[in-house]
Amino acid sequence: MSSGRVLALARHEYRAAWRSRILLTLVAILAATTFVSVLTAALDYRGQLADYQAYVQAATADGVTRIPPSPLALLSLLRGAMEYVEILGAVIALALGYLTISRERANGTLPLLRSRPVTPGEQAAGSALGALAVLSTLVASTAVVAVLCLGVIGRDWPSSGQGVQLLLAYLAAVVYMGVFYALGVVATARSRVATTGLMVALGVWLLVVLIIPQIGDTLDADNQVPGGLFAALGLDRNGETAVLAHFSGYEHVRNWIEEASVSKHFERFAFAMTDVKDKYRGFTLGQLLTEKRNDIGWLAFYATALGTALWRSFRRVPPTPQGGTA
Amino acid sequence: MDTDPDIELAGVTHRFGDRTVLHDLDLTIERGEIFGFLGHNGAGKTTTVNILTTLITPTAGSARVCGFDVVSQRADVTRRIGYLPAEVRLYDHLTALENLEFFGRLSGVDNPRRAAQETLDYLGCTELGPRRMAGFSTGMRQRIGIAQAVLHKPQVLFLDEPTAGLDPVGVRQLRETVLRLNADLGMTVFMNTHLLSEVAKVCTTIGVLNAGELIYKDSLEQTLLRFPDESSLEDIYVRMEQVPS
Repeated sequence: MSSGRVLALARHEYRAAWRSRILLTLVAILAATTFVSVLTAALDYRGQLADYQAYVQAATADGVTRIPPSPLALLSLLRGAMEYVEILGAVIALALGYLTISRERANGTLPLLRSRPVTPGEQAAGSALGALAVLSTLVASTAVVAVLCLGVIGRDWPSSGQGVQLLLAYLAAVVYMGVFYALGVVATARSRVATTGLMVALGVWLLVVLIIPQIGDTLDADNQVPGGLFAALGLDRNGETAVLAHFSGYEHVRNWIEEASVSKHFERFAFAMTDVKDKYRGFTLGQLLTEKRNDIGWLAFYATALGTALWRSFRRVPPTPQGGTA
Repeated sequence: MDTDPDIELAGVTHRFGDRTVLHDLDLTIERGEIFGFLGHNGAGKTTTVNILTTLITPTAGSARVCGFDVVSQRADVTRRIGYLPAEVRLYDHLTALENLEFFGRLSGVDNPRRAAQETLDYLGCTELGPRRMAGFSTGMRQRIGIAQAVLHKPQVLFLDEPTAGLDPVGVRQLRETVLRLNADLGMTVFMNTHLLSEVAKVCTTIGVLNAGELIYKDSLEQTLLRFPDESSLEDIYVRMEQVPS
């Protein structure tokens, strides 16, 4: 495999992607929703932070020696941003995958590409690398906007430790979107009509991103009452565990349904890294990674499986219409 | 001196589903020849070029280009060939120079930008370099198409219906270009065409394909000697199709 050819194809993919109006529109929607979400959360956070600081000041003035730590979790303001990546980011990645194949088909440039010493493997690697660069640019841009909102509007900058957690969450976002990119390529490459492939890919997206996680959430006992069933019953974590032990089979099935969705694995990992889930607050990075190893493993599994399918799909794309002109 | 033929087809058969488009095709083209491949629409000319440019795999038989098998030594073949498809499709959002640079990189050219510029200069279309392809006429596209095909100085150049859609000036420019490439670089040229007048002016050897079978192949000189009573190449072509050699 020639790195020169792979890089040339990657650069080509990157440039072509940013010229797509469909993609730019989706990216603009993601950027706008992320910005609004983090902005409103940061405005609210600023008020809460000011209240806490006022309380600390007053307590110190009153000679209180044991001041409770801030209950605020800065990174949790990114919950909306992560959810938008989970839903919209996946659509963007699908569109990117669709465009990778449909663009060359519509241009009719595949015969010229394949008449060069370019192997299907190099084409797959070049396209995937270019797409990952597009997704990384997108994710990095939203991350910068989000962090600026936290610092400038929320008036609280992430610590270096939080920065690493954030980096890992966004890295997972790139991997997650990469899975959907590969799905878009595979579905389009395997369909004679590109739009049919896109429809199939969107069907899978609907199932994986919206329906399966929704089923899992609906079946969750704690979600049956606003504010949480166990909280309403006055049960703490131990009480909740004791109750659920009586329904282990049910919980097992519910968990299995959730785990069938790559989105849920991304969400669980990202929410743990961004302190959205209370129970992970205060964990060290090592503890977080240990706790989330199952989700990391599943994300890696999906990425490997879809990456392999993508590579195989490029071998299947015929450079000339089969059965066409003689 | 290497005397191996540049193109060799032995017993090549190709089927699309249950339709056979090439029947047991044997063909040899020596280095430095300009070969005109004649035949009606659907005769199998494009399929032959697609096999020789490694775009499709023959159902049976073997094909070699520059001594390399088109199936098992694909990379060796593609490094040595240039290809101009019947309809030149390049990236409209890029300039001509950017298109050439991209294809140069894929071909492993050392300095693709310089090679692209030199090729445009050589073909006399330097002014097209900085312009986006989107607004190009058929003739302009054809010239850039040829530039992408010869940018890496291939040993064999495949041209599939290169004169289709060109005006008389474009046809003439193409003819001159083919002759120059052959004379300056010793390039072997394999040209699918309908235009008999062009074959007479450019090609050194001709072959006629009819319904997937090669019914005639000889040098242009011998062909004209062999059919002395015919008034034009067109008449010869018609006779060839009627009376297989």
